[in-house]
Amino acid sequence: MLNKQEKLTGWLMLFPALFILGLVFIYPIARAFWLSWFTENLGTQLQPVFTGLGNYQRMLGDGRFWQSLWNTSIFTVVSVALELILGLGVALVLNKSFMGRGVVRTIAIIPWALPTAVMGLAWAWIFNDQYGVVNDILFRLGLIDAGINWLGSPALAMVALIIADVWKTTPFISIILLAGLQSISEDLYEAHKMDGASPWQSFYQITLPLLMPQILIALLFRFAQSFGVFDLVQVMTGGGPAGSTETVSIYIYSTVMRYLDFGYGAALVVITFLLLVLAVATISLILKRIRT
Amino acid sequence: MLIDHLISKLNQSCWKLFKTQRWFFAFLALVLSISVAILPGVTQQPIVIQTLIRADEAQQLQPLVNKFNQQHPDIKFQIVEAPSDSNQVEDLYTSSFLLGNSPYDVVYMDIVWTPKFAAAGWLRNLSDRLSAEEAEQYLEADLAGGMYEEQLYRLPFRSDAGMLYYRQDLLEQAGYEPPETFDELLKISQDLQQQGLADWGYVWQGKQYEGLAAMFVEILQGNGAFWVNPDTLEVGLDRPEAIAAVEFLRQTIASNVSPPGVTTYAEEETRLLFQNGQTVFLRNWPYVYNLAAESAIAEKYSIKPMVHAVGKGSGATLGGWGLGISTSTKHPDAAWQVIKFLSSEDAQREFVLDTGFVPSRINLFNDPEIVAKYDYYPQLLEVVQNSALRPPISQYAQASDILQRYLSAAITGKISPEQAMQTAANETRNLLQR
Repeated sequence: MLNKQEKLTGWLMLFPALFILGLVFIYPIARAFWLSWFTENLGTQLQPVFTGLGNYQRMLGDGRFWQSLWNTSIFTVVSVALELILGLGVALVLNKSFMGRGVVRTIAIIPWALPTAVMGLAWAWIFNDQYGVVNDILFRLGLIDAGINWLGSPALAMVALIIADVWKTTPFISIILLAGLQSISEDLYEAHKMDGASPWQSFYQITLPLLMPQILIALLFRFAQSFGVFDLVQVMTGGGPAGSTETVSIYIYSTVMRYLDFGYGAALVVITFLLLVLAVATISLILKRIRT
Repeated sequence: MLIDHLISKLNQSCWKLFKTQRWFFAFLALVLSISVAILPGVTQQPIVIQTLIRADEAQQLQPLVNKFNQQHPDIKFQIVEAPSDSNQVEDLYTSSFLLGNSPYDVVYMDIVWTPKFAAAGWLRNLSDRLSAEEAEQYLEADLAGGMYEEQLYRLPFRSDAGMLYYRQDLLEQAGYEPPETFDELLKISQDLQQQGLADWGYVWQGKQYEGLAAMFVEILQGNGAFWVNPDTLEVGLDRPEAIAAVEFLRQTIASNVSPPGVTTYAEEETRLLFQNGQTVFLRNWPYVYNLAAESAIAEKYSIKPMVHAVGKGSGATLGGWGLGISTSTKHPDAAWQVIKFLSSEDAQREFVLDTGFVPSRINLFNDPEIVAKYDYYPQLLEVVQNSALRPPISQYAQASDILQRYLSAAITGKISPEQAMQTAANETRNLLQR
């Protein structure tokens, strides 16, 4: 049992950490919640005027918000799913011992280590309709006879974004999963094999269940990150064409920085935050069910 | 007890130090008092005036900055270099003003930022500083672009206006006069394309960005339509004339006069097509003129005001950059000195001769020195005097985004022009009511 004084000392020592956490986490979130009850924009000379739920009501009729939310969801779900499948594949390969594994492992991380803005620019050129590599390859293969306008048509622009994101963040997932794979003992596989299990059975009955904690972590990290994607989209398409790749964070950025509509921007932040918390909670719940 | 002891010990050692080093301390005190109390009185420290300008343009302005600093020993004018993307410059200004205590005394701004910055209270009113005779020297629309609620917040430094570039040689070869109307432009283009004189007829900026809105203002004006009336806040996007403007853009693509990729082009893509001789007509800003003069089509092209509908006049979207004084500056008068110097006739002449940018003062277009170097400037004045403003409203950024979205959707064929313009008009009305 801790006595009273020890408890007090404990709290005192925790205080700096808690204080900083409060400063960088709780304060901004609380402030966004508070601000979302006010109208504060150029119409009010940047002074806060209380409007209650006005901002949330406006959001209901804001087609641009719903479209950006839809875009973000599509982007997140598709890219995270692809990354998980590919990342698992890469991790399984890197877990086997072969010549030059160390080198390959290092190379595999490079996309993730590159600054997103830089590689976003590179991908924008790769998908350029006149000079892009993708069109050039398709052309040489005889699959197309005129350049595809990748970033200029709504669906293809989203495809291009997802490809770029998958390329960049698959290494992140594969590193996490690789760490998980290495903690699974070889003995298990040997015993399983002796019992007459095929490699596929081993994968489903040993690898996947034992890897679940790492998959869960990777999924949560990527989901939260991907939902807030900004730099890649800003550099590659800027949200176009016709708003078809605009994500929620780009819309929030425009609302706050370009339109100076702080109250509404705060309401957008609050709703996105709540949706994200809800989505993450649902995923972890589902995955927990699967595990047990 | 222990602490008492320590203090007395400290005291002793301090005294000892002071006694042994007293000459040193006397000297230190002397130096300090001279630098703090006496020096500033004798040698006046210059007032520092800062502004934020895109790095490429900051370089071009450097000779003028040096000249100003030579002529004004009491002021030190310096430019902080910003990224070469004007959106980012706007963001940097915005965040510095939002956080308060902005380091920028002079604000170098694009014409479309002015109403927003003024409405946010970040700019000082310049109306009293500019006399009526001085004001007459400037292009009227350019000065009007610096007004918000009938007060002046921005003095124009360099102007910019959209216009039509055309291939004089090709038109002469086929026996055509330069087109005046939208229909003539389409007809001539198709004829020249059929004769195999050029791949494409007309290229314009169709990417979803600010340039799309700027280009569209000209087509609107040429059809006798309008976007937003700044006085009554009436929205004209869903009127038949405005829908006709969208139809014209769609027609350029449908009739193969413009390449399908035109809906992703910004200024540079269209300039390259024109310079490489692939197109007869081009809508662009004045900067193309000098660059094209060094290309394969040198001396084979000319400029004219934008085409328009029969019975209507042409419009040229006004762009350009100007100078304002930030509310947060402690030295508004010194900042005004800088602005007065930069926008003066001599400074503008020097800058125009150096860079080929367009001046904001009317008489410089016919200035002998400038005309000797750029013989097309008198023609340019004709273009600039037809200029149309993008709506000078504080919510311009939002209004422009709405238009860009729906216009982009309409010209890429996602929705019909009527539907696009009706939705855009309704959303703009909602915006202006807030």
